[in-house]
Amino acid sequence: MPLQQALARLQDLPFPTQIRESDWLFPTIETMHVFALVLVVGTIMTVDLRLLGLANRERPYSQVAAEMLPWTWTAFAIAALAGMLMFSSKALTYYGNIPFRLKMICLLLAAINMAMFHWLGTRRLEAWDRGRPPRAAKFAGGASLLLWITIVAAGRWVGFTT
Amino acid sequence: MVQEFCDWLSKTDVSVAFQSANWFVPTVQTVHIICIAILLTSVYVVSFRLIGVTRGGQPLAMLVAKSTPWVWITLCVLLGTGILLTITEPARELLNWVFRVKMLMVIALAGILLLVQMRMRRSPEYWTESPTRRFAARAIGIAAVIIGAGIVTAGRWIAYV
Repeated sequence: MPLQQALARLQDLPFPTQIRESDWLFPTIETMHVFALVLVVGTIMTVDLRLLGLANRERPYSQVAAEMLPWTWTAFAIAALAGMLMFSSKALTYYGNIPFRLKMICLLLAAINMAMFHWLGTRRLEAWDRGRPPRAAKFAGGASLLLWITIVAAGRWVGFTT
Repeated sequence: MVQEFCDWLSKTDVSVAFQSANWFVPTVQTVHIICIAILLTSVYVVSFRLIGVTRGGQPLAMLVAKSTPWVWITLCVLLGTGILLTITEPARELLNWVFRVKMLMVIALAGILLLVQMRMRRSPEYWTESPTRRFAARAIGIAAVIIGAGIVTAGRWIAYV
């Protein structure tokens, strides 16, 4: 299959090979991935809990989001880069791994959820920014929370099944 | 002696039961990581404010007061999940020097958080009252950021050392 050939070629490139064969490169990149990921999850959860009305209720949603999301994106960029490097070192193994696929699907769903909320859910933001979010916003927050917990769980299962 | 304790613990019924359930360690580790996410974010939000990286929004005293329950609840859950993981694989943790360094850093971080919270309870303006206090707040914030990163790093390296 062309995709598998491409993945085999990817993992045979010099740097992915070096990551695979080195004693310290993979754990170092993995540490960066985990460190960035916990900050992604922690900051996103803060926003999700505000949407669900379970934390920071006295503060406008827009303020909580503006404070948290720049950190989320910075940490996400680091986690994604480190994740891609880890993937490149054993591309074929990860590609065939079910928890890895689940993690990628959940990431995609989290992105869709976020984009839909951003475009549709914040249309009448002024009406609820300082108060209780509408049902759609609560749904987006709850879905995001569940998806990110699943992403962490699936990520952990990858380590036990590869 | 620690070796003997690990041998004994790993052969207890509880440890054997945890070891034989394939889902147990990843599930407990998932809860552990989610709690680290909440704890580290709470610590960093306060620390960046103490350092002066972030400004505005809510007053520092309110920020600290709101993060306090999250910090201690997650620390308790982390202690519980950490104990479960240690019961499952005692030698992996207790005989590992990285684990010991991690525990020292956890104690140091808990001490720093307690200091920040206690002083602030006495006076909400405590950390901003004078240039010396502002300097101390900055130093404490930097220490908390570094120790927090160190705990995550050590946590991951336990598996490799």
